[in-house]
Amino acid sequence: MKRPGPLLTLLAGLVLGLFMLTLNVTSGTKTASSSYSEASQSPSPSPKKSAPASPTPTVTPSPTPSKSAVPNASYAGRTDDDTASVAVTIRDGKAVAYFCDGRYKEAWLRGPVADDGTMKLTAPNGAVLDGKLQQGKKIRGTVKDEGRKYAFTADKAVKPSGLWRATAKVRGAKIDGGWIVLPNGRQTGIVTRDGKVSAAPRIDPETGAVTVDGQQLTAQPVTP
Amino acid sequence: MTADPNAATQAFPPPPRRRDSPARYLVPALVAAAVAVGLGVYGKVHDPAGTAFNLAGFSSTGAVKSWLATTAFFFALVQVVSAFMVYGKLPGPTWSGTLHRWSGRIAFLVAVPVAVHCLYAFGYQTYSTRVMWHSLLGCLFFGAFSAKMLLLRSERLPGWLLPLVGGLVFTGLTLLWLTSALWFFRTFGVST
Repeated sequence: MKRPGPLLTLLAGLVLGLFMLTLNVTSGTKTASSSYSEASQSPSPSPKKSAPASPTPTVTPSPTPSKSAVPNASYAGRTDDDTASVAVTIRDGKAVAYFCDGRYKEAWLRGPVADDGTMKLTAPNGAVLDGKLQQGKKIRGTVKDEGRKYAFTADKAVKPSGLWRATAKVRGAKIDGGWIVLPNGRQTGIVTRDGKVSAAPRIDPETGAVTVDGQQLTAQPVTP
Repeated sequence: MTADPNAATQAFPPPPRRRDSPARYLVPALVAAAVAVGLGVYGKVHDPAGTAFNLAGFSSTGAVKSWLATTAFFFALVQVVSAFMVYGKLPGPTWSGTLHRWSGRIAFLVAVPVAVHCLYAFGYQTYSTRVMWHSLLGCLFFGAFSAKMLLLRSERLPGWLLPLVGGLVFTGLTLLWLTSALWFFRTFGVST
């Protein structure tokens, strides 16, 4: 009789690993960055609905046990005057958005998304984003920041476009970087070093790798 | 049981040492290679999802993984000490064998979710030295661990073999911890 213990240990690890993997794959549509699958399936069953009706039909085909009527996805685009980028990530009825001009203006906004797809997100610095999800395909809205109002359109963004953030300490300085990667590959980013704002170096959109002040950082996709 | 059941039927041509069926080394070695290569290929082929599950109470998956990895590393240290006790190199209690088995199980099971997240969210990457070593060692670690587990099922192995493979597993885990959790704590601060 051979000792079964080690084999059981291995099997337990295998089962646990497969279990976690299944958990990841089945809850995958909840994560902002794995929105490919959603992009391909969700909008199709509601063809040619001319009225900007509720986005509810887009939810039905999605197998996610999401409690919210709004599908989990990311959106990214430019303001109408082309001075800044806006990206929004929706997950479980909550949204996080980043407004960034790539030079000195930025705002991280958060808030809930109503079942009809409208959202009002706010930032600690007072910026406000009002937006509405249109047929699950894009978000139209405005960002009010420092007394100015910017209209924007953000189209559905699939990985690696979307919203990225990296925080770190480099030689004692607190680094906070935010990036918006547009579907066409264009990047807008700002790095804040101990409160001082400047344009950010490009990130590798495949891995999130970026070098700030000689230090290799890894930006992560942002979720609410 | 003292005699290897394979020895009698397998004796053509008669091996130099009769109870050493090559399968007892070959199977663990092949399984180890298959596990390591399999993980590496999955990590390379699978399109990294960028993100995956998070646990409540932690600020980021990086923090979750770092603490899980640190837990695994702690139990790995217990492994080394208890192994010395089992081999009588250190004074230890009678239950040091049980301690060794269970600390190893916990370390392994705690490391599995970390590896799943790494493979699912990031995959096999080589964009920096740290990341390259971490990817490589991650695959090797689970291979070496499988070999260790399978070798344990054989009896009367050469005395140096288990300590050697066990040492490899421990070295692997230590380097994995240094290239991930320690890096995370130093870059992002010791946070939960």
